[in-house]
Amino acid sequence: MSDRAEGAGEPLIHVQDVHYAVGAHSVFSGLNVRVEAGKITAIMGPSGTGKTTLLRLIMGQIQPQRGSIRVFGQEVPTLRRRELFGLRQRVGLLFQNGALLTGMSVFENVAFPVREHARLPEPVLRKLVLMKLQAVGLRGAADLSPSELSGGMARRVALARAIVMDPEVLLYDEPFVGLDPISKGVILRLIQSLNRTLHITSVLVSHDVQEISAIADQTYLLSGGSVVAQGNPSELRNDTSEVVHQFMTGAPDGPVPFHYPAADYYAQLLEQ
Amino acid sequence: MSAHGTRGAVLRTGLTKLGAETRFLLRVCGQAVPALDHPRLLIEQIYNAGARSLVIIMLCGLFVGMVLGLQGYDLLARFGSESALGVAAALGLIRELGPVLTALLFAGRAGTALASEIGLMGATDQLTAMEMMAVDPVRYVVAPRFLGGVIAMPLLTAIFNSVGIYGTQLIGVVMMRIPAGTFWSQTVNAVEMRDIREGVIKSVVFGVACSLIAVYEGYHAEPTAEGVGLATTRTVVTSAVLVLMLDYILTAMFL
Repeated sequence: MSDRAEGAGEPLIHVQDVHYAVGAHSVFSGLNVRVEAGKITAIMGPSGTGKTTLLRLIMGQIQPQRGSIRVFGQEVPTLRRRELFGLRQRVGLLFQNGALLTGMSVFENVAFPVREHARLPEPVLRKLVLMKLQAVGLRGAADLSPSELSGGMARRVALARAIVMDPEVLLYDEPFVGLDPISKGVILRLIQSLNRTLHITSVLVSHDVQEISAIADQTYLLSGGSVVAQGNPSELRNDTSEVVHQFMTGAPDGPVPFHYPAADYYAQLLEQ
Repeated sequence: MSAHGTRGAVLRTGLTKLGAETRFLLRVCGQAVPALDHPRLLIEQIYNAGARSLVIIMLCGLFVGMVLGLQGYDLLARFGSESALGVAAALGLIRELGPVLTALLFAGRAGTALASEIGLMGATDQLTAMEMMAVDPVRYVVAPRFLGGVIAMPLLTAIFNSVGIYGTQLIGVVMMRIPAGTFWSQTVNAVEMRDIREGVIKSVVFGVACSLIAVYEGYHAEPTAEGVGLATTRTVVTSAVLVLMLDYILTAMFL
């Protein structure tokens, strides 16, 4: 197992000993994650392990009960709203469903953050938006409304919107979910090219082992509220622990049980 | 739980909600001026809440005016005062029926549309997406819709009143043959500035109440289909009850 970031100074995103619970249900108990600048870091784990919750914690949408979350050296849970908004202008987030604004065209969706944060002349704004749409292959769809897009196209428009402010970090929430193989391939290539050409640090939350293995530099596997394994994809594949093996091979039963905890089956059937 | 306990719990829930709504109102008011940076959004919302409610407002205003004409004529004829029909209808509409009925119709049409639109934006992560793009959804989504409703309500009330008086005139002058000169001169002479002021103040207060409830319920709706449906229902019910309560309080203050 490698941990190249250890001792390499302050990482871009540093999650340390985070505890987070919703009511009595503990989501994280002592979570530690480091995201190094310029790398593609994947957060993997079975459904319900809190992968998306981790992104929400990093973006300051929710607060941990304990622990530290530092982004660009700033302690996110202590930031005021204005400071948090300043930080969010440097971080892009790609939602699982795209979360495009339905009352606007594709062009206006991509232009939205720029119109709100930068007073660019209209011709410059137009060129910028068209360039971003060209980057995701949807310049021709600029005048369409979100309801006219397929799932894969909506995800690409959302990606164009996420990069229009030239963020330093991009967080992807399940970018491959529900996509056909072609769309998956397109998104995969886009994530890679954004990382390589624009040097955008990427954090991917996903449970698509194959796709993640193809692009991630560092992978964290979450289970039971903390990191159970970390390393590059080949290290994870060779990991012999039961949890990692079950996740990487997709075995239906194991440390993550097939059955939701319940009373004794036969006793329940024979119950009068 | 004892009756005292139940009453206490209901009171606590009510007060908590009132407190949350007041805090939300202050937050929306705080974002109202920045929201004016987007005049196009505000005009769009005045159009949505106002212009799109015009047909229902005019239609209802006409029939309410005509009913007032029939009932008023029947009553006034018993005292030989048919010529005062215009006065009775105009004062009733301007001071009471116009603001109240417009507010109830507004809650049913524009209020539900606002609540469901904002609720669906929440359910499809659009509000969260704005937050993540460092855009305050209260400034961009809620405040323009709230302001649009507050501006549209007095305008709709004025149109409701005008069409209502026209409806009464149709019954009184065209059907019952009250001389048009008598009808209009008595109406114009009887309606004073304070009557109009009362109506305008009521319509503005109802506009604030109905718009606030709609945006509050929409913004705080559970992000599910059922949650949005419940928010829409709560918008109509709460608005109707609050409008009638506020109307009583305002009427008592003006008399």
